[in-house]
Amino acid sequence: MNADDDSTGSPDSFHPLGDEWERELEELLEESDYDADLGMEMARDAMEVTKGELSEAEFHERYHDDVMEEFGQDDRPTEAALEELESDAGLDGSVSEALAAFGDDGAVDRREVMKKMGAGAAFLGLGAWATMDETDPSVDAAAAQDDESEDGTQWGMVLDLERCDGCLSCVQACADENQLDSGVNWMYVLDWEDPDEQLDTGRQRLIRPCQHCTDAPCEKVCPTTARHTRASDGLVLTDYDICIGCRYCQVACPYGVNYFQWNEPGVSADALDEDHIYSDRGRPVDSRAPRGVMSKCTFCPSRQDGNMGEEMVGSTACEDACPPNAIQFGDMNDPESAPQQYREDPPLQRARSMASDDDDELQEAIDIIDGEEEPAEDAEDGMTEAEARAMIDDLGGTADSTFKLLEEIGTNPNIVYVGNEPGPNAEQVGGPIQYDELSYENVEEEMVQLADERKDVTDEGTVGEYPL
Amino acid sequence: MSTERPSKEDILRPIQRTSRGYYILLGIATLAFGLFLVGWMYQLSEGMIVTGLSDWGSGGGVTWGLYIGAFIWWVGIAHGGIILSAAVRLLGMERYMPVARLAELLTIAGLSAAGFFIVVHLGRPDRMVTSIIGHYHITVHSSPLVWDVTVITLYLVLTATYLALTLRYDITRLRDDLPNHFEPIYKVMTIGYSEKEDLIVQRMVWWLALAIIILAPLLLHGGVIPWLFALIPSMPGWFGAVQGPQFLTIALTSAISGVILLSYGFRYSYDWQHIIADDVFRGLTLWLGFFSLLFLWLQLQQVVGGTYAAPLDQSTVVSAMISAPIYITSMTLVFLVLVYTFVQAVRPSLFSKKRSVVAAVAVLTATLLEKILFVVEGLMYPTFSIYGAVPGSYWPSLIEFASITGTIGMVTMFFLLVSKVVPVVELHAVEHLQEDHGHERSGDGGAETEVEA
Ligand code: SF4
Ligand code: SF4
Repeated sequence: MNADDDSTGSPDSFHPLGDEWERELEELLEESDYDADLGMEMARDAMEVTKGELSEAEFHERYHDDVMEEFGQDDRPTEAALEELESDAGLDGSVSEALAAFGDDGAVDRREVMKKMGAGAAFLGLGAWATMDETDPSVDAAAAQDDESEDGTQWGMVLDLERCDGCLSCVQACADENQLDSGVNWMYVLDWEDPDEQLDTGRQRLIRPCQHCTDAPCEKVCPTTARHTRASDGLVLTDYDICIGCRYCQVACPYGVNYFQWNEPGVSADALDEDHIYSDRGRPVDSRAPRGVMSKCTFCPSRQDGNMGEEMVGSTACEDACPPNAIQFGDMNDPESAPQQYREDPPLQRARSMASDDDDELQEAIDIIDGEEEPAEDAEDGMTEAEARAMIDDLGGTADSTFKLLEEIGTNPNIVYVGNEPGPNAEQVGGPIQYDELSYENVEEEMVQLADERKDVTDEGTVGEYPL
Repeated sequence: MSTERPSKEDILRPIQRTSRGYYILLGIATLAFGLFLVGWMYQLSEGMIVTGLSDWGSGGGVTWGLYIGAFIWWVGIAHGGIILSAAVRLLGMERYMPVARLAELLTIAGLSAAGFFIVVHLGRPDRMVTSIIGHYHITVHSSPLVWDVTVITLYLVLTATYLALTLRYDITRLRDDLPNHFEPIYKVMTIGYSEKEDLIVQRMVWWLALAIIILAPLLLHGGVIPWLFALIPSMPGWFGAVQGPQFLTIALTSAISGVILLSYGFRYSYDWQHIIADDVFRGLTLWLGFFSLLFLWLQLQQVVGGTYAAPLDQSTVVSAMISAPIYITSMTLVFLVLVYTFVQAVRPSLFSKKRSVVAAVAVLTATLLEKILFVVEGLMYPTFSIYGAVPGSYWPSLIEFASITGTIGMVTMFFLLVSKVVPVVELHAVEHLQEDHGHERSGDGGAETEVEA
């Protein structure tokens, strides 16, 4: 939709989706062995065909010779390939549907589809694809995997479990930002112990937001596409207007991060800020869920979409609230992003967040490791690289192991942890701060007390009292 | 066995005769259903919070419970019913012809109850149609829930077609004895009927039966229903290939039990000793025993596999399951039924219809308990069990309990009402029985395998 808006005015672009699409199309064609210029020309005319300004017969006539030259034969690959594509996908609908279907199961990417169709068909196919309705959430689902493998944005986090001190500030900030009910802990922090294994180093703590999985099982099982992955930035979101509340996503998510809205939420829809509900496509995906639909950590899409101002893009409420900077949010596909920098050298980033401004020696060490200052050749001339490293490691600890949660299940999570991975026997134990010690004031000026177990809260509404 | 000659008057009796017992049963059924409707209205006004469900994980609850368990139970009864009736038609098991239509009606009623449970389970039932149909072309590629809805709808259509086709024959021939106030219904049902279609209908029904027999184990209770669970790798209580066969055996035991209860009820109320003969009950009891055996055998596979040297998550859920009182009760009930079938087969004098009815009730109780426990325990023991609140706890609310009695009431009402409008035993079946009586019978009538086609 947004892309549409930008492009309709652009005179140079024949695509309804604008320059960007056209450029991408050109690149794709360039990569194939066929004549890109011919391809672009054909695609331009293919658009005319779809608009009805050019008949199919005319189209074939116009390109017959060129196509013969390029491919050695003109067996109208367009029609045949389209048919094949449609029957492969089991659809009789448009090409866009067929392509969406391919992307959806992740087995065949756009490029393979192109190869399969033959370049000639691809010209037409992409032309038709471009007419696809962008408001359809399937578009997101379909193209998500492409974007991940290409260099689109993929929001994610690096969470430093060694720095987290269990203060639950992030949990509280998230509840406040999203006006969550008691016990709806989109962000959850827990301490754990392993009865079979005594660790002698490091903390045993876990920070657990939604993992915004690239291969999200929650999305796969959803019967409505309400749970979807955004193509533009890999966020896994719930469209509150489409969800039917079947709770299958909650069942399929291996991490238990979903919270259903069992009753009327504490804060009414009118009291919420519209900018904090709707994404830039105009879909309601942020803030607490309305009654009867599913919710979970969103990675603050209204911030990422710029609704809160440019300076908030690339930040989340929990990250902002974390006193020891244990949460690093950013683009996982960008090596320069905060989380990727952190992952590269956790001790350095820890030292950076711990160092006070007037600690000149430490600042110097940071600059040396960072490459911003030349280290001394030997100790007499000043600080050497080895000395700087030792100093940083002394403060920041040596590099710890990193892991992704339940990676073996194949969800491809976008959260990377630095610290100790809990084993399968690990069990939650009490943390330094209890959930019910914290509360926030909602926009309707009522105090909301946090709760650890949601069931304690929902049990109040259960009809019938039981001993269990 | 009765020597009375079956006649069409017999099968018209439910339509023409209404006893006091009928009204009492209808009253109870309506009350049970009405009570649940009131509870459901309350749930619609307050939200799903009125149930005993909650979020799993840090939440400490389970998000699917009795509603989903009861959904599978009803689907099982329904699917088993249609398999039974299709088998009768396909294999020419004429002994069971008189109960074939009861089984088909049970399918329609059971699927309706199951469909109702889906609606009751949803947080936003009002959006069901728009959200599911609107994105069907996308979600059908990946969502087992969409597969379910598709296949259930397909089966509802198949069964309804089946029933409608065979009813045309009966209604046309019995029209003069049917009550006039249902005239419009009969008119619609027999539109365009001519005797020429009989043969074609026979063939169609045969093909439909074949389709059902082939599709049922592949797609239905051996397919999409168990896949709802068996495809979720992070819930070890559900994941795995055994669920397909396991669900199918549970469906068949439940359906046979349902047919036993219905047959007994109708025979008792309308003096149908000569129509639904003792033989039918003996046969059904044997089948019940056979599928109970398969049921227990597949349970055994899971228990042994899950306790011997299973991965941590799987052994946790299996040991929790086998120590649960509900599980022990359920398995004991099925085991006792198995013992009964065995001894009555060896010593026929131990058979009685009442005992078989008790066995049927026992199996239905056992399968309901097992299905609910399956859903709940699956969610209580996930692979990711680090949360202090895992395993969660769950006890159904009064409204959830009322949904069971309510849907049983609904299905009872369905039978009471349908039996007033159309014959629940096929005219064909009676014709067959008459032929049998006409012949000098040398052996068991059920051994005949001729198919009318
Ligand atoms: S963590 Fe769970 S809810 Fe989040 S994307 Fe992955 S599967 Fe979906
Ligand atoms: S609860 Fe909503 S988002 Fe989740 S699977 Fe069902 S329809 Fe999709």
